[in-house]
Amino acid sequence: MSKFKSIFVDCSKAGNCCDKAQYNEASLPEKVKMLVHLALCKPCRKYSNKNTKLTKLIKDCDLKTCTEEEKQAWKEKIKQEIALKDRG
Amino acid sequence: MSTNKIDPTKWVDKYSDYLFNYTIVRVNDREIANDLISETFLAGLKSMKNFKGEASERTWLISILKRKIIDHYRRINSKKGQAEVRIKYSDDSNEGDWLEEQAPDRLDMTAEDIMENEELGLAIIRCMENLPEKQAKIFKMKTIEGFDTEAICNEFNITPSNLWVIIHRARTTLAQCLEKNWF
Repeated sequence: MSKFKSIFVDCSKAGNCCDKAQYNEASLPEKVKMLVHLALCKPCRKYSNKNTKLTKLIKDCDLKTCTEEEKQAWKEKIKQEIALKDRG
Repeated sequence: MSTNKIDPTKWVDKYSDYLFNYTIVRVNDREIANDLISETFLAGLKSMKNFKGEASERTWLISILKRKIIDHYRRINSKKGQAEVRIKYSDDSNEGDWLEEQAPDRLDMTAEDIMENEELGLAIIRCMENLPEKQAKIFKMKTIEGFDTEAICNEFNITPSNLWVIIHRARTTLAQCLEKNWF
């Protein structure tokens, strides 16, 4: 019975697994438990669909971020310019 | 009536990713994009007194950046007459093939797709601006930059469970923010 019970997880665990699955970090047993939960729980199915769609949207638009060094250089330039303005 | 305030000390943290994604699709060169953003910030500082507060800071910075991008193309076009084209084949076996034939042809994407993806990218960044600072940083590292869970946990001194809670909150907020136009 305990083995049978362990295949059922609550919504928070299923949601957590769904998030991990977006980054390919969910283990096989976790995925199986999530799928069982999704088959039975409509709100979690909805969350899972949205979550998967969000992953696809982010992947499709190929976002880029600035490096910390680039940001630091800009901050430095702004700081210098403000100091110059204050003096002048 | 002035409703939006201006604070240059926060420009980099708040808008640099947005400005960068806006620029990189237009100039396709990281170094040029960096220079243009840098020029935008400096021009913004110089003309701060002209900011009336009617538009948001981001919109105002983008309007400056647009002019910088146009200036950049004017600059390079004026040098066109001096340009020299050199063609080099990557290896001898390909000699005789046009370089054009070696370029990947994106048949899977139309101009509309590319424009839609750019718009979507900027919408995602705008939504990320609403996340708390730490949450946004962790989400970006994990989702866009593809860092390992362990590396992020070490950097922020958090447990993997904390990380997944933060990711969950960020994803829920983003999905809600994007829901109206993109879901």
